[in-house]
Amino acid sequence: MPEAPPTAAANRGFSRRRLVQAGTVTAATAAVTATAGVSPASAAVTYTPVRYTATPVPTAATRHIANRFSYGYTPTLGAQIVRAGGPDKWFEAQLNPAAIADTSVDGFDTWWFSINADAPTLWRRDQNKIEGGWQAMANYARWSLVRRMYSNRHVLEVMTEFWENHLHVPAIGSPWMTHRSAYGKMIRSHALGRFDEMLFEAITHPAMGIYLDNAKSTAKAPNENLGRELLELHTLGVGNYTESDVKNSARIITGWAVDMFNTWDAYYNEDWHVTGRVTVGSFTDANTSPDGRDVSRRYLSYLAHHPDTARRIARKLAIRFVSDTPSQALVDHLARVYLDNDTAIKPVLRALVATAEFQGSAGQKVRTSTEDIIATYRALGVKVAKPTSAKAAANAMLYQTTDLGLAPFAWARPDGQPDHNEAWSSASRLLASFRIHYVMSGGWYPTQDARYRKPVSWLPARTIRFDQLVDHLSRTLLGQNSSAALLKACCQATGVSPREKVTATHAIARYKMPRLLSTILDTPAFMTR
Amino acid sequence: MTDQPTCCDEFAGASRRGFLRGALGAAAGAAAVSATFGDVFTSTAYAATGTAESVMVVLSLRGAVDGMSLVVPHADPVYYSARPRIAVPSEKLLVKDGMFGLHPNLAPLVPMWKAGKLAAVQATGLHAPNRSHFSAMEEVEDADAGSSARVGWLNRMIGRDTGRSPLQAIQMGDGVPPASLYGPEAVLATRDVNSVQLRGASDPDGRRGRVASLNTTWGNAPGPLGKGARSALQVVKDFKPVQATSAKPQNGANYPTEDIGDALAGAARAIRADVGAEVITVDYGSWDMHMNLGDLASGEMRTMSSVLGQAMAAFFTDLGPLGDKVTLVTISEFGRRVKENANRGLDHGYGNVMFLAGAGVKGGKFYGQWPGLEGNTDSDLLVTTDYRSVLNEVARSRFNASTAQVFPGFQPERIGVMAGQ
Repeated sequence: MPEAPPTAAANRGFSRRRLVQAGTVTAATAAVTATAGVSPASAAVTYTPVRYTATPVPTAATRHIANRFSYGYTPTLGAQIVRAGGPDKWFEAQLNPAAIADTSVDGFDTWWFSINADAPTLWRRDQNKIEGGWQAMANYARWSLVRRMYSNRHVLEVMTEFWENHLHVPAIGSPWMTHRSAYGKMIRSHALGRFDEMLFEAITHPAMGIYLDNAKSTAKAPNENLGRELLELHTLGVGNYTESDVKNSARIITGWAVDMFNTWDAYYNEDWHVTGRVTVGSFTDANTSPDGRDVSRRYLSYLAHHPDTARRIARKLAIRFVSDTPSQALVDHLARVYLDNDTAIKPVLRALVATAEFQGSAGQKVRTSTEDIIATYRALGVKVAKPTSAKAAANAMLYQTTDLGLAPFAWARPDGQPDHNEAWSSASRLLASFRIHYVMSGGWYPTQDARYRKPVSWLPARTIRFDQLVDHLSRTLLGQNSSAALLKACCQATGVSPREKVTATHAIARYKMPRLLSTILDTPAFMTR
Repeated sequence: MTDQPTCCDEFAGASRRGFLRGALGAAAGAAAVSATFGDVFTSTAYAATGTAESVMVVLSLRGAVDGMSLVVPHADPVYYSARPRIAVPSEKLLVKDGMFGLHPNLAPLVPMWKAGKLAAVQATGLHAPNRSHFSAMEEVEDADAGSSARVGWLNRMIGRDTGRSPLQAIQMGDGVPPASLYGPEAVLATRDVNSVQLRGASDPDGRRGRVASLNTTWGNAPGPLGKGARSALQVVKDFKPVQATSAKPQNGANYPTEDIGDALAGAARAIRADVGAEVITVDYGSWDMHMNLGDLASGEMRTMSSVLGQAMAAFFTDLGPLGDKVTLVTISEFGRRVKENANRGLDHGYGNVMFLAGAGVKGGKFYGQWPGLEGNTDSDLLVTTDYRSVLNEVARSRFNASTAQVFPGFQPERIGVMAGQ
């Protein structure tokens, strides 16, 4: 007969959580009994998960919205959602990021000089060997990581990532490094706004122009690169335009120039603009003026409002936020909302989270390398400070994402990093995740300018049974009750049996906590969202 | 307004890292590697001997390499009139015949050429032009026109026998597998040799608790993630012989200090360790030279052709006698336009070159049917040989694989670049 756990009052000294209910231990229904083939010492053990109700567990809906529209459930976030009145009200409030206080995160842009430096300054620093452009780009990616990790404006950050991937400009060593940070800030300013406005600013932005050669595309020899990707990737999609459309597309957007390797100013060059009638799909324009800025705006608006674009964006949103195989009905529904609202993004998101398909899709998306790293930092409660050296956590975390497969914005092609589960499920990704979860669970790397929780702080009470501890950690790290399989895996990893009492002097607290924590992170529940 | 200075080779080319793969759609079919993990693991299956008798290395030149800069059609006058600034002068070409010659920076490959171990096939490509990197890559790697299943040709090739080892096919140099490897057969994609290990696998008590615990967690986990995890655990054991081989290139091989050098050196180690890998895929890119393709004095082609030549030559030097069972073939999603653009570069084209090196190659010769060039802005090198005909000869000659299995519905033409074909 299990002992009753300590009362709420006795717990208060150990619990970091706000609300603690009177604890009871209940046996779950599913148990696993070790079968033949287990090592002899544990042959007789039954793995029955228990419920450590002193630790809150979110509702399935709360956990789901947290894992889809933030960078990982934490008890703090769970409590915020409860305080807001539940998932729907929390989500609605998140659609107004200006009203959400985020003071600590707002200062992160000062952690790296390059984030706010202008183009000539970045160029000068590169040429004078103070800081290479590739380093400025790496710092931009780092800034994105720490914002996602700690911001209270979860949905804004999630949508910024989505759009920055859809209108992808790599942040790897390149001439457009002079404008890449500004590009990202521009995307973020539109991430919950309107796609048509975002598209215009993105396509005419110097970063995009340099990356896809439009900044040097001339009337004499128009360069088709951006003209093509605009149709193929950013709007209509493969098969929905012709080669003639590509040529006309390139002609329309000639003129948006950048004074490269000099002042780096973006400016409009009328000499470079191709004049004469242009036709793309059902868009046509006499295009007589050498100033093609207006025809560019109208052309891009036409593309943004096109039904093929609506479907393409709806599908990408569904794949990102629902599953790899969204129903056609869902895609059509979201496309309709997009068009009905003049390409505004918030109504589409509201429509998406209201669907049964969304609500029933928990766990169907594999976390990407960046999502895994960020969720690991969040789950383990690692606090990262302004970096004071190259080895500082805020700098090192970039290499951790590379180790898992891909750093933010490091995909070299304009189509943006893949968003299907297959791409993130290779053996080497799994091994890298297992390694990083373990190393971070131990607080071994990175250590500079980072604070990890002490092992003993993971014990919710002075004395706790191991099966209770596993359930407590499952609720804390995974946002769900422990299962029989999880309890068994934790016992196997640590060599501790379910009913063993754990205190501050137990091996678990002294040196086995990393094994226990990483066993919980090395699960489908943590590695999917 | 100043012209763009011809500076910045080091700047513009700062990132050589993978111009990565094409569309990575969901894998076809439900067949997953269903190894039943548990505390007692019974290995179903595996290449019976664990040895690969033949190895194919597929080197994907990502970003659409300009084949006419590497295998130059010097006898076609349009080549020179269409490329006044970037054509390679005829007198600089290597191993010339009446029609073609190699770019001078491929000099490290001349010994293999002269020994009959290196060949090139010109004017190869897809059945119809496809100028989208993303879409063409998928088409090239899927190689199964008309089917909506997302299964790559290499996955079909290794699926021809009953071996189930994830080490039958290895993507070396990146954790994200190429579309050609997608499919029901499990494969390994890894950044490098050392990454294939399980950290924390042994604990102070001497029990391998971590392995048992991971088996418990992932034994029945669904979907691609579960498949990947089970594969990972199997692979960690099977990859140890590769890690046991020396990391030092053999026979004085001198790789370029670029990712492609590291990847091919890793491939050589995997081959030396003989763990059953039949296919190794490696990427090198980006070759997407819309701007600054340049000439022999400056530009991106000058740099990258050097790296390519040095890397391929070093690979075969490193292999030594093992080279007798290794065939390397290059592939790219499409070629580039005949006529240069305003930026000393080339836009997307169509026909392209494929190189074949090593075992079974009837080398020292240029193959393909040259269609002749036109010099208009939109002119392409046409395709006169389907790229699958080339790959088919390798698959049949070295692996006895049937065309029907690897390239369903395809009628190959004979090129005769591989022994027995």
